[in-house]
Amino acid sequence: MKKEKNILQWFNNELSNEELDDLKKSEDFKTLEKIKHYSSQLEAPKVDAQQALQQFKQRQLTKTKPKVITLNFKSFLKIAALLIVMLGGSYFVFFNNTESFSTQIAQNKTVTLPDNSEVILNAKSKLSYNKKTWDKQRNLKLDGEAFFKVEKGQKFTVNTTAGLVQVLGTQFNVKERDNYFEVLCYEGLVSVTHNNKTVKLPKGNGFKVTNGSIELTTNHTTTKPDWMQAESSFTNIALQEVIAELERQYNVTIKATAVDTTQLFSGTFTHNNLNTALQSITIPLKISFKIEGQTVTFYNYGG
Amino acid sequence: MIENTNNLCEEKNFSDFYVKHLQSASNFAFYKCGDSAKSLDLVQDAFSKIWENCAKINFDKAKTYLFTSINNMFLNTIKHNKVVMDYAKAAPYLDTDNQSPEYLLEEEEFKTKLQNAIALLTDGQREVFLLNRIEGKKYREIATLLDISQKAVEKRMSIALKTLKQHIQNI
Repeated sequence: MKKEKNILQWFNNELSNEELDDLKKSEDFKTLEKIKHYSSQLEAPKVDAQQALQQFKQRQLTKTKPKVITLNFKSFLKIAALLIVMLGGSYFVFFNNTESFSTQIAQNKTVTLPDNSEVILNAKSKLSYNKKTWDKQRNLKLDGEAFFKVEKGQKFTVNTTAGLVQVLGTQFNVKERDNYFEVLCYEGLVSVTHNNKTVKLPKGNGFKVTNGSIELTTNHTTTKPDWMQAESSFTNIALQEVIAELERQYNVTIKATAVDTTQLFSGTFTHNNLNTALQSITIPLKISFKIEGQTVTFYNYGG
Repeated sequence: MIENTNNLCEEKNFSDFYVKHLQSASNFAFYKCGDSAKSLDLVQDAFSKIWENCAKINFDKAKTYLFTSINNMFLNTIKHNKVVMDYAKAAPYLDTDNQSPEYLLEEEEFKTKLQNAIALLTDGQREVFLLNRIEGKKYREIATLLDISQKAVEKRMSIALKTLKQHIQNI
């Protein structure tokens, strides 16, 4: 081991002369000396530094160019689009709390609201409210006709395009048509706001707007709107309104160009039989009708 | 200001650094792969790496970085040839006084044996042996260069000498 260490030191030129003399006595010394001598005569291939530097600089130029990464707008757009879709999606999942109900022609639907208030939707009507804010504000949007049975509690508001109906706990009917708005209170007290005018309706009273003229009605004795008994009743209503209601309750198209649709109608029609309903409208007005599939044509006698 | 003069990103500084270390770097690469063209490629790649990362490399560490890069690139890319070293043309004989034909023939034979034996060493042993013999580097310097301990360098050197001795005496 000592000898090996000395050899290493000798090759590192760190061996003293005495130690070297000692080493010279070993049998391998001649070979090692030759190895030491001749290996130092070896050489690696010479490199021309200047020429290599020139080459290096050239390749540097050609190599760095493709390294420039241009801002890739397409991939940016891809990511942006993805983000928008995700954010939009999550918005609709987490923040869109609007609950909507709607009824088709000839369909009634009972909706129970989160506070157990009941809304019965008449045909071709739409009701929506915000689930999230319901606990604080009982706000509803109505397009069409519905009967409300409101549980006692916070202010209960029905928004329609024609006006605002507010109650505390009561039963009432709201009917909103083109050029026609009617609220009937069946129990409790209802406040109706129409064109910035507020009217309070006690039980049995009604509020009616026909073509802009307001009419207050009293002494209603029924406890429920007639449409809930599968009937529609009218008092001095223009025929065109009656026809519109008929089309809502039966899936039919009514052609009434041959008759005067502004004449007033008072009466009731059933929701269960088209033929009977048509008769109860046409006979008092002295007009005839013809049923062809889904189309009903009104015409005058002898017309 | 001192930092500026030592900045490798300055083209002049880099060129100086390049010229200064090119030969030793290419020798080092050659001890490893035994092909002059390939070793120059390795060296150029290593210099490119330094140029690309010039801002990140400390000037004092650049040399170590260069050799480490060559070492890593060699391990990653090159399938190396048998490393056959050549003697310098003007190589003198051990005993310059003895010019008898027998002696000269014997020495030529020894030189060939040595060449073959060196080719048989492992990469690690050969690079240590040649860095010591040709470049005249101390074991400590080699250790820093290769980023290994001095003990490891001595171990490689010792095994290299033993292997060389055995091969030369057996043939």
